[in-house]
Amino acid sequence: MTMRVLLVEDDAELRRTLRDALALEGYEMLTAASLSEGLALAANAALDLVVLDLGLPDGDGESLLAALRRRESLPVLVISARQAEGQKIRLLDAGADDYLVKPFGVGELLARMRVALRHRGTRVSAALTVYRRGAVQIDLATQRVRRDGEPVHLTPTEFKLLARLVRNAGQVVTHRQLLADVWGAEFVEHTQYLRLYMGQLRAKLEADPAEPRLLLTDPGVGYRLAEPDEDPAAPLMPS
Amino acid sequence: MRIGLDEESPWRLRDAGPAVLVWAAAAVAMAWLDGRIDLVNLAMLLVLASALASLWLPGALSAAIGLLAVVAFNWYFVPPRRTFSVDLRQDALLLAAMVAVTTVVSALMGGLRTQARRAQRHARRAEQLREWGETLRDAADPLAQAGQLRDALAGLAGVEVALLLVKDRLPERDDEGAATRVGNADSDQSAGLWHCLRQGEPMGPGTARHAELPDWYLPMRGRGVSLGAAVLRGQGTDATQDPLLRAHAQALCDQMGQALQRTLMRRDEQRARDEAQSQAVRNALLAAISHDFRTPLATIMGAASSLAEQGARLDPQQRQRLATSIVDEAAQLSRLTDNTLQLARLDSPGVALRCDWESAEELVGTVLRHARRHDPARRVRARLEPGLPLLWCDALLLSQLLDNLVDNALKYSPAEAPVEVLVRRQGEQAVLAVRDRGPGIAPAWRERVFEVFRRGELGPHESSDAAPAARARAGAGVGLAVCRAIARAHGGELRLRPRGHGGCSFECVLPLREQPPQPPAEDASA
Repeated sequence: MTMRVLLVEDDAELRRTLRDALALEGYEMLTAASLSEGLALAANAALDLVVLDLGLPDGDGESLLAALRRRESLPVLVISARQAEGQKIRLLDAGADDYLVKPFGVGELLARMRVALRHRGTRVSAALTVYRRGAVQIDLATQRVRRDGEPVHLTPTEFKLLARLVRNAGQVVTHRQLLADVWGAEFVEHTQYLRLYMGQLRAKLEADPAEPRLLLTDPGVGYRLAEPDEDPAAPLMPS
Repeated sequence: MRIGLDEESPWRLRDAGPAVLVWAAAAVAMAWLDGRIDLVNLAMLLVLASALASLWLPGALSAAIGLLAVVAFNWYFVPPRRTFSVDLRQDALLLAAMVAVTTVVSALMGGLRTQARRAQRHARRAEQLREWGETLRDAADPLAQAGQLRDALAGLAGVEVALLLVKDRLPERDDEGAATRVGNADSDQSAGLWHCLRQGEPMGPGTARHAELPDWYLPMRGRGVSLGAAVLRGQGTDATQDPLLRAHAQALCDQMGQALQRTLMRRDEQRARDEAQSQAVRNALLAAISHDFRTPLATIMGAASSLAEQGARLDPQQRQRLATSIVDEAAQLSRLTDNTLQLARLDSPGVALRCDWESAEELVGTVLRHARRHDPARRVRARLEPGLPLLWCDALLLSQLLDNLVDNALKYSPAEAPVEVLVRRQGEQAVLAVRDRGPGIAPAWRERVFEVFRRGELGPHESSDAAPAARARAGAGVGLAVCRAIARAHGGELRLRPRGHGGCSFECVLPLREQPPQPPAEDASA
């Protein structure tokens, strides 16, 4: 089945380049040069994914995100310039799936899209329950974590934090989202909690905690659990 | 130095002590001599006492006491005694002469003393003006001397004084923020101060302007402009007593005005010099940056145009190589743009950092991941002291700093040499160091590598063997400059230290803050 992607980008050159590159990968492409155009297209066409540039001339993208979120669980990738740091985080907190900072390579964009599409629907149906990458295996259903086959003991909070990241494996989860989901809404400013617990998790799960391969940091934004290994044995995609 | 003027104190009763003694002695002497010498001689004694006493008494009081004494003399000594009646033929002339002499002597003495006092006051005020002028000349900032001026004026006039002094330039509208206030003034007086300051003319009783006001307003005049004003509160009645008082107060104020104007002119000159200099720095910066941009742009232009025009004739391998070099150079341009924008941002006043509690381990981990992606074969290692405190910093900026330093170290050291990232605690500071085993940097260049616009200019004294390395380092352009700017924006510093066996160590020192509260400890495991 062909995936249909809406690309909202005001720069004509970049729009054409990305459209061609994504079409070459087999996506069916719809393009919009402004927010209003994007809103119109999103209202009338069934979409599988939206790639949204933040620097649009007629708005900051939050209205489009809100409109999309009202209707369905549709993955949204945000493209931002480096200066638009605050806006990017606001959109992630508001439910955008992931982000890319301009300039980026097509390879990066494709990888992010793949992850976002894989997570499509996890908000409504069963989430990923078994995560496997390298020597680490995490089973959310049985609450077991193994490294090199050996069980790893986690505290309840450590496990809650890890599970939250597993549910969005491969995608960034903002500090605010993690703090709200693990500790509660009143702790969203306590970033130091995350530093402590991520350090503990790395010490237990990473081969070299100083150079993590699993629990990755997006400075100033949040954390990202590396994409799981492609493993046909693990039920990665919800049916 | 205190500029307070010792203005003569008003005459008080206790100053009359000697006069009372004189009168008492005279009375005793006259009582004792009564009957032994004749009336005229007794009268002489009284005149003498009156003249002596007037040395200590104000003129009017002295004359009054003299008159009283003559009346008493008439009662006691002039026959018929114990009456006020006078033998017109004999004693009337005597009494009249006594009254006249006493009055004249008192008046003369009083006048003399007033003149002496005025001369003294004059001298003191001249001295005060001179000292005040010296104080202002020595003062770096005349505004700091405003308190002294207030005290001097208050001491001078014996009333409450409030001052208004413009801090810098005269503002377009009356703006309390642009001025310094010394002393208390109500809203009417505030308005009066501003009005007086703008008009540059004294106002109040005895002046040509607003003579109906109860207070004196004196401007602090410089050349052609007033930069302050003083209000002497309730200066309505005393003004007449000392006509020179206002002139003197005005002179003190004008000295302040001139000092303020001198400071203003000095500041203007400095500002103009700074502006010219920063313009020169900006131009040099732009020249350096555009040079940095041109190199990757040239590569991209070459590769892309080759693909566009010769694409069909190139073999797939060549095409791939050109495309890869476009991607690499574009990444380089992107980094350069980030650095340049960041430098410009950090250079602007009031830059806001997005600080949060960050873990040094995480920042270093991110930087290592970036480095591996660019250069997977190289030996980049991290060594972190265990138990490091959290850093209060802007994560993006600090990873940019470390990214630049690691990138730099990889670029300027041989491929097989290791690059290390070290983090340790040093007292109340955290030290983040990036160390390489490259050729090092010539001593003359150790500061200059941080200056973006210095790139490529080698002095004639630099030895030929160090120069190539230095020149290569200088190619870092904005990179190191932005690193230092980031460190300084965090209240820290970035330094370069040569290493013992070759290579260099860039050390970023950041101040540590009191650590935030940690979550409650957990014991049970899942």
